Amino acid sequence: MTVLDIEHVTKTFQFEQTRIRVLEDVSFSVKEDEFLCIVGPSGCGKSTLLRIIAGLEHTDSGEVLFHGQPQRSPTPKITMIFQLFGLLPWKTAFQNVEVALEVLGVRKETRLEIARSHLKMVGLEGFENTYPHDLSGGMKQRVGIARALALQPEVLLMDEPFSSLDELTAKNLRSLVMDLRRKSSLSTNTFIMVSHNVEEAVFIADRVIVMSPRPGKVVEEVNVDIPRPRMSYLRDPIYFKYVDQVMEILERTK
Amino acid sequence: MRRERQAAIFIAGLLAIVAAYWLVMRFVQNPEVSFLPYYTFRTLLRIALTLGISIVWGVPFGILASTNKTASIILVPFIDLLQSVPILGYFPVIILFFVSLFHGSEIGIELSAILLLFTSMAWAIFFGVVGAVKGIPVNIIEAAQGFGVTGINYIRHVLLPAIGPSLISGATLAWCDGWFFMIAAEYVVYLGATYSVPGLGSYLAKAAYVYNDLNLSLILLVLITAIVLYINFLTWHPLMERVATGTYKPVVRVGLSGLGKLGTIGPRWLRIGDRFHRPKSIILASKWLKKYTRLEKAIALAMSLGGVFAMIYFALGQIPSPEAFRQAFSDPELLNLPIYIVLTMGRLAIAYTISLGIALGMGVLAAEHKRFAAVFYPIYDIGQAVPILALFPIFFVYFSRIFGGRIGLEMTAILVLVLDMIWYMFLNVVGAVKSIPGEIKEVGRLLGFKGIGRIVHMVIPAILPAIVTGSILSWGTGWNTIIFAEYMPYEMDMFGGLPLELPGLGSYLDKTGYLPPPKGNPIRLFFLLGIVASIVLSMEGLIWRRLLKRFEKYRVEV
Repeated sequence: MTVLDIEHVTKTFQFEQTRIRVLEDVSFSVKEDEFLCIVGPSGCGKSTLLRIIAGLEHTDSGEVLFHGQPQRSPTPKITMIFQLFGLLPWKTAFQNVEVALEVLGVRKETRLEIARSHLKMVGLEGFENTYPHDLSGGMKQRVGIARALALQPEVLLMDEPFSSLDELTAKNLRSLVMDLRRKSSLSTNTFIMVSHNVEEAVFIADRVIVMSPRPGKVVEEVNVDIPRPRMSYLRDPIYFKYVDQVMEILERTK
Repeated sequence: MRRERQAAIFIAGLLAIVAAYWLVMRFVQNPEVSFLPYYTFRTLLRIALTLGISIVWGVPFGILASTNKTASIILVPFIDLLQSVPILGYFPVIILFFVSLFHGSEIGIELSAILLLFTSMAWAIFFGVVGAVKGIPVNIIEAAQGFGVTGINYIRHVLLPAIGPSLISGATLAWCDGWFFMIAAEYVVYLGATYSVPGLGSYLAKAAYVYNDLNLSLILLVLITAIVLYINFLTWHPLMERVATGTYKPVVRVGLSGLGKLGTIGPRWLRIGDRFHRPKSIILASKWLKKYTRLEKAIALAMSLGGVFAMIYFALGQIPSPEAFRQAFSDPELLNLPIYIVLTMGRLAIAYTISLGIALGMGVLAAEHKRFAAVFYPIYDIGQAVPILALFPIFFVYFSRIFGGRIGLEMTAILVLVLDMIWYMFLNVVGAVKSIPGEIKEVGRLLGFKGIGRIVHMVIPAILPAIVTGSILSWGTGWNTIIFAEYMPYEMDMFGGLPLELPGLGSYLDKTGYLPPPKGNPIRLFFLLGIVASIVLSMEGLIWRRLLKRFEKYRVEV
């Protein structure tokens, strides 16, 4: 079943006298239970596209449909995790998760319980009262993940979530996201990630959408048919075949 | 387009000011009115000259203090101590020194006016340079070393370009501070005698106190404000825009509706934008001093105290005798000191609370809504250009007519304080709200923060450090103003026998500084200045620095 339809989305930004077209006629669909990854060169509008899906930016023309309905403003059904974590520095890890529920009007006991269980789920038990300032990058992103999932969204958007982390931490977090995705108790089943790391995209996604340089257009889609869990395929020729295929498309679009 | 607009402002402004001068000189009946252009020239020259002196002093000393450890442990605590003492408090001592040195001639008064202006202007330059040099990224320094750029070449190619933007913004601030203190520097009544130098400030004071002409005071005030605004728009604003491109850290700029796409708002704005000003310097200096051992700190403190004692010695021309000390502390009014402190702090606290409340509201609205910005930024630009101290006689005459003398004076003092304090808070709030990173704002929108919830969960916590910074600046300027505001050293009958002082530390300090003995006493004056300095420094240490440290965690990482 299709969850999201991105239909002919075009977006232009105006900076003083200059108009920059970042997205041009972008169309694709995202199905339920799918992990989609968008890759493309810097400045091709991938992050803008993600923000349009989240309802944070408006399109110039075209539309994003969520279950067939136009999606124009933020909704708890679609949440996001950020490259720089987006944590409120003045709230502890626990409060960062809790405040999201408080705004939704969740009862205090319930939200305390949800916040506690989600922090535990991402492995942050014992760090509830720590401020972001005192957490490592990986731990901050864990809070970001807990906060996003606590809202029980259908769709989780991820804007280069691991690019500001060291490789080892990034690897652990990728596995965490994969583990969480397998959890049947989680209501989130559709994932859209923006990345400029082709290996990461092939490792994590069911389908990779490759975008052209600015103005960003969808150049090609690659269905990654590698069985899961994929950890054991990281040295397999099939993994490198997909990586090469995506790289080749990217090279071609230069 | 921009150049054309600039030219239009230049010509229109010049024509408007010339027309205003002509009108004033043609229609105002006052024996001195024909000197108005000359007074303007003298004031401009005085402030510009002092600015030049401040730069000539500030740049080498700033570089020295930021590159040489020994120099820094002497200079930084000393300057921190000096700038924590309200300038107007020690002005009588300066006057006394120069007048006696030049046997009462005008040069002595002129020099003391310049020195007073210098002590209000130089810190911005000095700390601007210190901040800029300290802010040069390590990789730039290492690259310079790697390419063998040392000595004079290092100064030419690394230090001076790095200092440039801060120097411009420091000079902008200094220029504004100069206008702020102009009226106090150009016209002083001390030991019953009036010391004045020709200028707009002294003419304004005379209009109020000698000619008792409220209309002329108001006209002069508007003229001064127009000149300050005109010069700001013509020189400092474009200069700031130009240097903003050369900084290592972005200079925070805001869109000024109706005044172009990206205009820097008035000069005091830079107190946030460029991060060089006093709070930054305090943080910098404190971080820096942490590195030193107790012994080094003790040496620095001893040298600072030595400096203060040297000043006393110069001021008095002799080492005070025990008898002089006994006399200094035999004043019965000294017993009232605790209650005076409470009263003065109370006035400051009331004005601070009012400023904080208004500035928070105005600042958040201006930063978030273009419609409000279009109204509040011009108000700010004009508000910060008005020489606040010059408003005092006008408000006082007005309020005392309506509410009576004592309440009138009390209201005037608080209103002048509010008008002085509010802009620091406003600018810090605007700057902080504007600098909330886009990602945090997006998180707020995604999580559905709206209305009060958004203010409580996002805006207020994000701007808390800026509120503290604004508070330090507000209280700092407030101390200067209250010393001026609690006491009017003029004849009672000029205001129809109205009481001309409010009981408080400010008025007591004024009396001790400006009245003839036994009320006036240099030793007691230094004692009282020491009290003020200790209150300022303890508030910094006990309240502001602690809060800043606590809010350091709230810093949004980008």
